[in-house]
Amino acid sequence: MDSSTTYFDYSDSPYPIRAGLVDVHKDYWQTLAKAGSWFTGAERIAIAAEVRNALQCTFCAQRKTALSPYALQGEHLKGDVLSDDVVDAVHRIVTDQSRITKNYVQSNVQKGFSEEQYVELVGVVVNVLSIDEFHRALGLPQESLPQPVAGDPDHYRPAHTEHDTAYVAMIPPEGAVGPESDLWPERTANVLRALSLVPDAVRSWMKIANEHYLSMEAMGNFTGPNGRSINRMQIELVAGRVSSINECFY
Amino acid sequence: MLSLSAELSEATVNLQMINGDERATDGDVAHAKVLMHFAESFARRDETALTQARTALLNEAGPDVLVDTAGVAANFQRMVRIADSIGIPLDDRNVALSAGVREELDLQRFASAKNTPQASLKVRLMSLIARPMAKRMIKKMEAQRSKSES
Repeated sequence: MDSSTTYFDYSDSPYPIRAGLVDVHKDYWQTLAKAGSWFTGAERIAIAAEVRNALQCTFCAQRKTALSPYALQGEHLKGDVLSDDVVDAVHRIVTDQSRITKNYVQSNVQKGFSEEQYVELVGVVVNVLSIDEFHRALGLPQESLPQPVAGDPDHYRPAHTEHDTAYVAMIPPEGAVGPESDLWPERTANVLRALSLVPDAVRSWMKIANEHYLSMEAMGNFTGPNGRSINRMQIELVAGRVSSINECFY
Repeated sequence: MLSLSAELSEATVNLQMINGDERATDGDVAHAKVLMHFAESFARRDETALTQARTALLNEAGPDVLVDTAGVAANFQRMVRIADSIGIPLDDRNVALSAGVREELDLQRFASAKNTPQASLKVRLMSLIARPMAKRMIKKMEAQRSKSES
């Protein structure tokens, strides 16, 4: 990443941004720019750019209202770094995620777009979207994307995964051991396990969630201080209303 | 989570706020109406309404509340996409714990409910027992935590 560029300089923000938020946004931009487990830094930044394209994509808007999201043919608004299947996955996750199916994910696998790549892609998409959406919520401009750092993906795959809960393999609840022992304590939830095929994707989203929402420790505290200026009921009202409009069953 | 935090805080809360019922904001959640309007204009991507809601929240509750609210709202744009794109079902223990709330808010209408089997009669009956038990357990844990902190 270009060290001369200062990302997330909120000095022009009309509202003071808490230090934890500034730090985690800066930290994620550095992570984004480097090679992950299955994509290079340049590819990860191209995925981030597609998150932004998806929100302006005419084809995505048409497809969102189509009876079947798999029948309509068209061209996405897109860059030229990623394959069409990868671009399509980013756009679907951003604009029409509730109609993604196991068949869709597995048909991509048949075409060589692996589960591991898909999971890393989901991680990049949701983290970039979350940071961009924080800016939109406050009326702040989007941060420019970082410059890629050279390097190759490490192709790390956890030793123990299972394939009977979701569309992709995940580490089983009791499987956060060895190099994955930091992912969750004894008890876990499916949302924590969701991206565990790419453990670094879990680590990245948890770091951001700790600041945007609550830390794992604070999540178990329903009535006491939580380090935020809003109490738990206020937090859950906002979370619930956003989730309801997003039709989030989970 | 709103239901549970309200029960544990012994607060009066009408859960229909989650479905956007403005009349439901007359309860013990401070700034409920402006928080609800901010969340919904944000999630609907209605930029005109969001600008108004942002100003209203800022004027009524201040900049720190606005920033923390923006963080939570942004986080929950992410959660639905993780859940739906990976196809995770609701966790078994939450199926029982949240059966009543899901019924009250009619969450089964959402497309992503397809990943979680409908709660059986047995599970719904279990929820009548599981929820008070969970509440007692969390209260006990919170009491232990505050004792160890003091």
